[in-house]
Amino acid sequence: MTKEQRLKKRHNAEKRFRFYGLASIFFALLFVLILVHNIFSKGSSAFMKTAINVEVFYDKDLLELEPGASEEEILEADFFDITIESLLKVYPAKNMDEEDALIELFTTDAEIEIKKAFLNNKNLIGKKINLEITASDDIDQLHKGNYPRDLPEDRRRISNFQLEIYDVLVENKTITKNFNNYFFKNGDSRDPEIAGIGGALVGSFYSILICLLLAFPVAVLASIYLEEFAPKNKITDFIEININNLAAVPSIVYGLLALQILLATIQLPRSTPLVAGITLALMTLPRIIIPCRASLKAVPPSIREGALAVGASKFQSVFHHVVPLALPGTLSGTIIGLAQALGETAPLILIGMVAFVVDIPSTPIDPSSSLPVQVYLWSESAERGFVEKTSATIMMLLSFLIVMNFLAVYLRQKFEKRWN
Amino acid sequence: MNNVKIKSKNLNVYYGEKQALFNVNLDLNEKEVTALIGPSGCGKSTFIRCINRMNDVIDICKVSGNIEIDGVEINDKNLDVVSLRERVGMVFQKPNPFPKSIYDNISYGPKIHGKGETKSELDEIVENSLKKAALWEEVKDRLNEPGTGLSGGQQQRLCIARAISVNPEVILMDEPCSALDPIATAKIEELIDELKKTYTIVIVTHSMAQAVRVSQKTGFFHLGKLIEVGKTEKIFKNPDNKMTQDYITGRFG
Repeated sequence: MTKEQRLKKRHNAEKRFRFYGLASIFFALLFVLILVHNIFSKGSSAFMKTAINVEVFYDKDLLELEPGASEEEILEADFFDITIESLLKVYPAKNMDEEDALIELFTTDAEIEIKKAFLNNKNLIGKKINLEITASDDIDQLHKGNYPRDLPEDRRRISNFQLEIYDVLVENKTITKNFNNYFFKNGDSRDPEIAGIGGALVGSFYSILICLLLAFPVAVLASIYLEEFAPKNKITDFIEININNLAAVPSIVYGLLALQILLATIQLPRSTPLVAGITLALMTLPRIIIPCRASLKAVPPSIREGALAVGASKFQSVFHHVVPLALPGTLSGTIIGLAQALGETAPLILIGMVAFVVDIPSTPIDPSSSLPVQVYLWSESAERGFVEKTSATIMMLLSFLIVMNFLAVYLRQKFEKRWN
Repeated sequence: MNNVKIKSKNLNVYYGEKQALFNVNLDLNEKEVTALIGPSGCGKSTFIRCINRMNDVIDICKVSGNIEIDGVEINDKNLDVVSLRERVGMVFQKPNPFPKSIYDNISYGPKIHGKGETKSELDEIVENSLKKAALWEEVKDRLNEPGTGLSGGQQQRLCIARAISVNPEVILMDEPCSALDPIATAKIEELIDELKKTYTIVIVTHSMAQAVRVSQKTGFFHLGKLIEVGKTEKIFKNPDNKMTQDYITGRFG
């Protein structure tokens, strides 16, 4: 081979390598794009809800309330009759079946919505007011264009009569799309139109908080001890190997462990953020120790020697010099560990967080759901309305993860000190 | 001739199985510069690291024999190394300022030893240390800037100032100029000349010229043994040992 040929071969090899690299990046981006597009196209409509403008008359005879009634009296009062009356005024129904069909256009929570509006303004007694009453899941999906209306009637959940009403409502512009505050405020529900991730958000927040409070101090102290103080011998080698192994243990194993020890033996309450937090902390511990030790190891020995040489004790050299320098790496490792814990589903299913919980937990020992488990639950549901809710929950989960990862990168870049 | 400050007797050092120093007997005089020369890996640095017990941080390192400072044995398990290192400062081969401000670099030592209770006392210590290290004029207006932002020569003088800040009796220097250019080296050498009025200095160096310039006494190490020790002039002009002669004339090493 001549010199020119060799040179050409070398250049070609480089060109090929560049091409392979670009192609891999292109494919990776393509898959991310498909994923994001899929989630967004399905999920973005969940942030809006359909409502129907209804004139509500707070008839004091039907309510059996006097002006100036106390909060307790209002809570006990029966709003059912005025709800039915108000809803029936939307469209003329000829018989009982049509009345039922009309009422089915609204959420089952219409009565509660009417009651809440009254609780917010108690002067409404004997007066009329226009309220935006949430539409039922079927109408909601129809209005968002997710429901095929050209099917034959016997294969549709919406009858011809209901479609007729819907078309009139659209023409009158009494049907509207608003921001879906229920999605963030409410707990889970069997009815998609009023189901929300409020409970899952609070549950995830408590779980991650408990996970952080347990895992962070233990992991940091363990790392500092192992890296700076522990003698290097067979026992510490053994511990090190095991920490690395534990980080690779499938998370469902931690779920089984928690089920046996935390629920069966210690008898902690099931499906609670407390148990979830402890389980996630066990799982996260080795995942924080590893980056934490790596960042301690990255502090150059000359810094330790410099401190020791002016007469600092071992403890002082570690806590005055080494730990502050390792802190950015430690914090970003912790955040990434927590981000993993936030998206963990399997162990939480085993400890019973998969239960159907409507109430938003007020303490970490109340039954609760969590974001990834909520995704799992809704993805199993048959109702069309839960498809968009599932994707929207994934969007929320992903945005939390992205924020956490950005925070980790930011902390590392901002506070990491450079040395020679 | 000054008094003997540091005395080593039958000093042996082992790194695991490997013996690094063999029966070293060496006396270092007070307020004098002693240079230790010899080829790489001959045990010079190991020897000076015995004087402030820096070898303690190496797990596999074992030291036997005696080292006395002012007649007090320091190679003793019960000795408090913190107070030993307060008396015996050290400057390393590569400048290693803390990634903190210049002020914090100097004030750290006094703070942990409870010297300089008040801010003004600390300010004074910082100023004096930097002046003694001939760095004050260059940095007095930027004491709050990071020490790592200084040039290599300035960083090394900062490290010398840091060693001085706790007012030690002995300063150990492990090839302090090996990472510096000739101008920075000249400054450090001038500084060593000045510092020997107050401190006992031991310097490890690979430069014969530097040993001649700064030291009064020179020890030649080879393969962990102290081959020859004596007045610097004598060692470089008329050494007793053939190996010393060969080393200083550049025939090996």
